Amino acid sequence: MYVTKDGQEIFVIDSHIHYWDASPDNQLNIHGKEFIDCFHDYQKHLSPKEYIWPIEKFMKYDKETLVNDLFVIGYVDMAIFQPTYLTDFYKNGFNTVERNAELVKEYPHRFILNGSFDPRDGERGLEYLEYQVETYGIKGVKLYTAEWRGDSKGYKLNDPMCYRYFEKCQELGIKNIHIHKGPTITPLNMDAFDVRDVDEVASTFKDLNFIVEHVGLPRLEDFCWIATQEPNVYGGLAVALPFVYARPRYFAKIISELLFWLDENRLFFGSDYAIWHPKWLIEKFIEFELPEDIKAETGVDLTIEVKKKILGENIAKLYDIDIEEQKKKLRNNVFIG
Amino acid sequence: MLSTSIKEVMDKLNDVMDPELDQSLVELGFIDDVKIEGAEIYISFRLPTYWCSPNFAYMMANDIYEKVSELSWVTKIKVELKDHSFAREINQGISNRKTFEEIFSNISGGNLDQLRKTFKIKAFYSRQEKLIQHLLSKGITESKLLSLTLLELEIILNDDLKGKTLKNRYICILKELGLYKDEQQLAFTDENGTPIELDSFKNYLLQIRRTRLSMEFNGFYCRSLLITRYNI
Repeated sequence: MYVTKDGQEIFVIDSHIHYWDASPDNQLNIHGKEFIDCFHDYQKHLSPKEYIWPIEKFMKYDKETLVNDLFVIGYVDMAIFQPTYLTDFYKNGFNTVERNAELVKEYPHRFILNGSFDPRDGERGLEYLEYQVETYGIKGVKLYTAEWRGDSKGYKLNDPMCYRYFEKCQELGIKNIHIHKGPTITPLNMDAFDVRDVDEVASTFKDLNFIVEHVGLPRLEDFCWIATQEPNVYGGLAVALPFVYARPRYFAKIISELLFWLDENRLFFGSDYAIWHPKWLIEKFIEFELPEDIKAETGVDLTIEVKKKILGENIAKLYDIDIEEQKKKLRNNVFIG
Repeated sequence: MLSTSIKEVMDKLNDVMDPELDQSLVELGFIDDVKIEGAEIYISFRLPTYWCSPNFAYMMANDIYEKVSELSWVTKIKVELKDHSFAREINQGISNRKTFEEIFSNISGGNLDQLRKTFKIKAFYSRQEKLIQHLLSKGITESKLLSLTLLELEIILNDDLKGKTLKNRYICILKELGLYKDEQQLAFTDENGTPIELDSFKNYLLQIRRTRLSMEFNGFYCRSLLITRYNI
């Protein structure tokens, strides 16, 4: 919970967190090392100095660290796990549903556990999706269309097999589809970050929500275009948000474009923890105001009401979280730092 | 002799652009090393991450090779991409003069020329937007701007160094896209050469601003990530 200077309470849901193991013991090959090094560069590149971790800690952190960073010092009330398998790079996977479930078991009111699927897993994968719903009650999935599988370096959401998976999601009551379209892992298709496949599936599966993580960066303009057309396309702000500190004017331009093209109800806060720490992200975001000239250009503003929506209210709707009810539950579940 | 040849090579490298960012590899800090031994040239380059798109990495490697080949005295060129997930494939492919499709035939689909065109069009809008904003800030009205010919544009920017640079970059991309006919043509049209209507101009500007912003943002992101990666 973030409390503003004038006493307003802001309920925070971090829509994008990880609990990964990228330690040398779990690395399968050079790609595993390069992958985590690249994530670490992101942290170093855009974080205030005091939030930069040594690589050893960054490769593998424990549960206590995560809980402390998010809920004790980081203002976060609830967080959503977005698993990332990367089984071609890591022996036991990078950040699997099973690994995340350990934390959910201990703190059931604090976390939402999302699952994952990969259409290249065929029929077996459909069964695994069912298993995730039965075992963990998942309401959402995280998809990495660029994930490597042997010779295959990625898939498209409009591949026929993917359609079967979306139908299965409808059948199982999974309604939130988070899609990573952004930096780090790159498929070998012609434009690694092309978001057009999102457009097609969003208009076919109108009752599913498609959350494009990292607001389609580095293809912001294409993402805005699609989101303008499709009301069930949303944007996760992980990766874009750290610019609030490193390059506030860029952040101002990006967030005002997003508010202009998408409106204020379809954007979600996400830290991408452990890449970035929610504490400083939230503090800087709350402090931040759009410069007058940028406001004049687009006619949108980032008021405290809009910030509240982005920090929790918007995503709460997608995951059927009643914020007032949730506050009551969490009152008996206080962490002491 | 040595200093002239380095200058000639660097001039060529200055013209090699990152197709995704529309900025020169030299400006971006991507060129790692240049060695010249007689008529043989070695050029190494690096990118902000190990995972940067191999398609763009290939284009850059290939453009380096082709641009430097334009120098008549050069007999041999070796281009080396460093610290990249597909460094080996791309480096071998370039030295054997293979196309991207040939190198990655088993794992890739689509057409690289089409991708290049898509990004040239983005670059066209981005450069056009910068030039339009510059003209608007000089007090030129929207209706005047939309009726300008390239010749009139030249005259307006006669004593304006920044404006001239923006205009020259814009004209370059017009030529590359085959949109340049002569000086009498309208200076500002869309990517198909269709004139822009005054009524829809505001909306048009919003759209192309988004393209420019996205490219600029990516350029910043990549440049500063490179600095982080290599501690430079």
